[in-house]
Amino acid sequence: MSARRLPEGPDEAILRDRPVTIEVDSKLIHCFEGDTVGSAMAVGGITITGRSFKYHRPRGLQCMTGNCPNCLVTVDGIPNVRACTEPVRGAMKVVRQNAWPSVGADIHGWLNFWSFMMPPGFYYKVFHRPRWAWHAVEPLIRSKAGLGFAPEEEDHRTRERISLHADVLVVGGGPAGLAAATEAASAGANVVLLEQRREAGGHLLGEPGGRVRAAGLVSAATDVGVKLLSGTAAFGVFDGPIVAGWNPDALYRIRARHVVFATGAIEQPAVFPDNDLPGIMLSSAVDLLVNRFRVLPGRKAVVLTASDGGYGTAESLQRAGASVRVVDLRGEVGPTPTMAGLAPVLGATILRAHGRRRVRAVEVGPPGASGGRKIPCDLVVLAGFAVPSTNLLSMTGAKVEFDDHAQAFLPVDLPPTVHAAGAVAGSRTTDGAITQGRLAGLEAAAAVGHGSAAASERVGLLRLQAAADGDPVVLPPETGLGKGKQFACLCMDVTNKELKFAVEEGFDSMELLKRYTTITMGPCQGKGCMLASQRLCGKATGHTLAETRPTTARPPWTPVELGTLAGERRSPRKETTMHDVHVDAGAEFMWAADWRRPHHYSTPGREVEAVRQRVGLIDVSTLGKFRVKGPQASDLLERLYPNRFGDMKIGRVRYGAMLNDEGVILDDGTVCRLTEDEFFVTVTTGNTAALERWMTWWLADWGLDLRVLNVTAAYAAVNLGGPDSRKVMEKLTDADVSKEAVPYMGCVPMDVAGVPSLVLRIGFVGELSYEIHFPSMYGEHVWDATMEAGEEFGIEPFGLEAQRILRLEKQHVLVGQDTDAESDPYEAGLGWMVKLDKPDFLGKRALIDLEAAGPAERLVGWTADPSIVPPEGSSVVHEGVWVGRVTSARRSATTGKTVGLAWVPAGWAQEGTHFDIQFGTVTIHATVALKPFYDPEGTRLRS
Amino acid sequence: MTFVIACPNCGPREALEFSFGGETTRRAGPEASEQELAGYLFFRDNVMGRQIEWWLHRDGCRKWFLAERNTMTNQIERTFWPHERGRTA
Repeated sequence: MSARRLPEGPDEAILRDRPVTIEVDSKLIHCFEGDTVGSAMAVGGITITGRSFKYHRPRGLQCMTGNCPNCLVTVDGIPNVRACTEPVRGAMKVVRQNAWPSVGADIHGWLNFWSFMMPPGFYYKVFHRPRWAWHAVEPLIRSKAGLGFAPEEEDHRTRERISLHADVLVVGGGPAGLAAATEAASAGANVVLLEQRREAGGHLLGEPGGRVRAAGLVSAATDVGVKLLSGTAAFGVFDGPIVAGWNPDALYRIRARHVVFATGAIEQPAVFPDNDLPGIMLSSAVDLLVNRFRVLPGRKAVVLTASDGGYGTAESLQRAGASVRVVDLRGEVGPTPTMAGLAPVLGATILRAHGRRRVRAVEVGPPGASGGRKIPCDLVVLAGFAVPSTNLLSMTGAKVEFDDHAQAFLPVDLPPTVHAAGAVAGSRTTDGAITQGRLAGLEAAAAVGHGSAAASERVGLLRLQAAADGDPVVLPPETGLGKGKQFACLCMDVTNKELKFAVEEGFDSMELLKRYTTITMGPCQGKGCMLASQRLCGKATGHTLAETRPTTARPPWTPVELGTLAGERRSPRKETTMHDVHVDAGAEFMWAADWRRPHHYSTPGREVEAVRQRVGLIDVSTLGKFRVKGPQASDLLERLYPNRFGDMKIGRVRYGAMLNDEGVILDDGTVCRLTEDEFFVTVTTGNTAALERWMTWWLADWGLDLRVLNVTAAYAAVNLGGPDSRKVMEKLTDADVSKEAVPYMGCVPMDVAGVPSLVLRIGFVGELSYEIHFPSMYGEHVWDATMEAGEEFGIEPFGLEAQRILRLEKQHVLVGQDTDAESDPYEAGLGWMVKLDKPDFLGKRALIDLEAAGPAERLVGWTADPSIVPPEGSSVVHEGVWVGRVTSARRSATTGKTVGLAWVPAGWAQEGTHFDIQFGTVTIHATVALKPFYDPEGTRLRS
Repeated sequence: MTFVIACPNCGPREALEFSFGGETTRRAGPEASEQELAGYLFFRDNVMGRQIEWWLHRDGCRKWFLAERNTMTNQIERTFWPHERGRTA
């Protein structure tokens, strides 16, 4: 065991029977379960935990609570882990950061001596003349910037997103938060408690005897049903208020009717020359190291305090075997601290520190003195300068006002559903915090309907007790004495001098200073530098602390892993009920909206040939399918479509396109009349959800008597197409499938392969074809039966690519591909379906004008030499000027040409017009063809 | 957008479950003037304060309904079915 490890103590939280060995920069450290990487480094005698961001100065443990930037390390490849709060695990590999070759001998340490060249914003000022200089220097600066290295490997950890709803949410699991949660839950409220650290208890965890007290408070809370989320940090408050929290496994979104903020206070360092030396720590860190982890961080300590609190730390150190001197800012000390043997130096402060790789001595004297007494030491403890942690409260809309007694900004004007308790509200004793916590818990519970007469009585009583407590706060001087860097901001390496210069340059407010010098913008987000920055800003501008308000609080208050915010990879992926059959058939798949659809099975060319010559089968289950049923079903369709549907006979199919009131085409599909008051409507695959919204929206507005039901998933569908498709159908059904019984644009219910189906005679591919809709559970059965029945006719399955060629050969428009958000039916060649003599339909008013004006552009078919296929999106040009674009283009083996669709000036929509298509440096000649390229009279699909 | 909307069918739910349909408009019928058509298609009142607007309970019952919302505070004053418009609006 290391000599630095202290013998067992009453408050220790390490398991001495469970040894763990970790590796820090190839040094093995033997520690125990319960240690953190930070306490293990202290046990191993590692005082330099990393190098600073800009000047590469040695830095050591400062806060032990995960606030300061000093101990950011890389753990098993993950950068910027806070060593002080990261629990040790066996075989952990820890690498200290921002130094090369090692933190002990960092060659970039020279930067410290060139700091005069690098004031804040230096990159705006130097190396800009001559112009090439910046290009030479910038990569160097960039390579030096930043902390740690992003891991190369993909992150496979699971991170959930969890939404919680509670009556009362308590943020912060210190004495105040635990008391608030316990009271609220006892009153009957449903309570969630968020605690950033792995163990609740707040500052009690470092105090002698505090661990037992904390455990009591925790079990009191959990006994009454408080849902305690420890190790989960609240990092932001959003409109609602919704509190966002995270831990490595999950992102929490918590909506509570009332929120109690018991976020505590954060100890602040003091500013004096070389105040960043390793060995200069906050009392919270020393309390935790000595009492919780049982490791002595130094043998000769100087404790700077301005309250009785520092004496507790001094006593702990003394009991652990260190020699301690207390420096008390107060001129006289009351009778309470009976500091036997501590012999405080009264009315004095630390003027400066000495040392290079860790603190060796401090100079002590009255504030403002020109010199002081040098006290040798290897540990400096800064005790009792804490700032209420109001950031999350500020995000709720609460204001902060300066309080003279506390010398701090305290929350005022809380929103009606927000409460504050404990140190964040100005309390500075444990008992005071608990009183405030109880009060807040009772009030919150009462506000959500869990009050009682007895509770109101207690609220009155607690209000009397919950007045501000503690002695008036004394702050150390803004700065120390002499040369040497005095750091206001450890994260970004900003000194008092640099802040002063920045103010002289005109950046004379906190918000400007923040943006210019980057103070409060580092990993600590102002936790350890806001107060010092405010005071130095105030000093330089001649304002008091009260007049120098903190900067606006914004999320994230604590650092959040990007992976947590990104969450798990979830992209919807839909498969039809025939998917496995396609896989077995060797299909290549592609995305079609959220669906996986076969692109091709053999080759698109072969599949096209099969459909044109024999017979082919395609899975079209992804089509959006709706049943529109009710007495006014035809009225709805009459209003949704420009087509006429009222006169449609039962058993007929009509092609239609839906428009919006701008007259723009939204979607196209087929409408079948099943009975007098029921229709079956299909829409484009990718538009299904949007069309459902569209149709139900108008239905809600018009209040017609019918229902629209999305049955996309309930029905599977296949399209059996090709000259031999009737022969295949005859084998699959006993029903009559002749031209007379199932005519073109007819629909007939019948059993297909024993499955009750709806068969539509439509011709998207331009051949005799049957679109068969049936309950989706029979997908594989119908597919297999059809393929088997078609075998003797040479049936081939075909994919989306073949279908696209087939439809293009027929000039069938694909809405969304050939049309866009400005295409009206007249331009798209669908004017024939518009019945302006109907009383009203969506788009009618706009179409009246559009028809009168006549189209400016037209969507036309074109053919070109088969040797080249222009990419979709190619330009249509006229005398070198862009006049239109190609929306579809494919090589058509059937016609022996390249064929396509394009938008061209309306005047060109004449059979045989020649025009040029340009892409890159290539120009090809195309000819307008207004009729389908294949079977222009449509005899095949009507056969 | 983190507030609660009371779906008239399902009760209070997170706003994330709903789709917004915009403020209610007066549709320009076939007899409308050009100006009325343009107003309906392209112009909105964009009220600062209370407005009646369409909401769809997308991840719930998939019903469209109307809500009166304060656009400054996201406070939903009331929700109701379209057929209740005449009675309550």
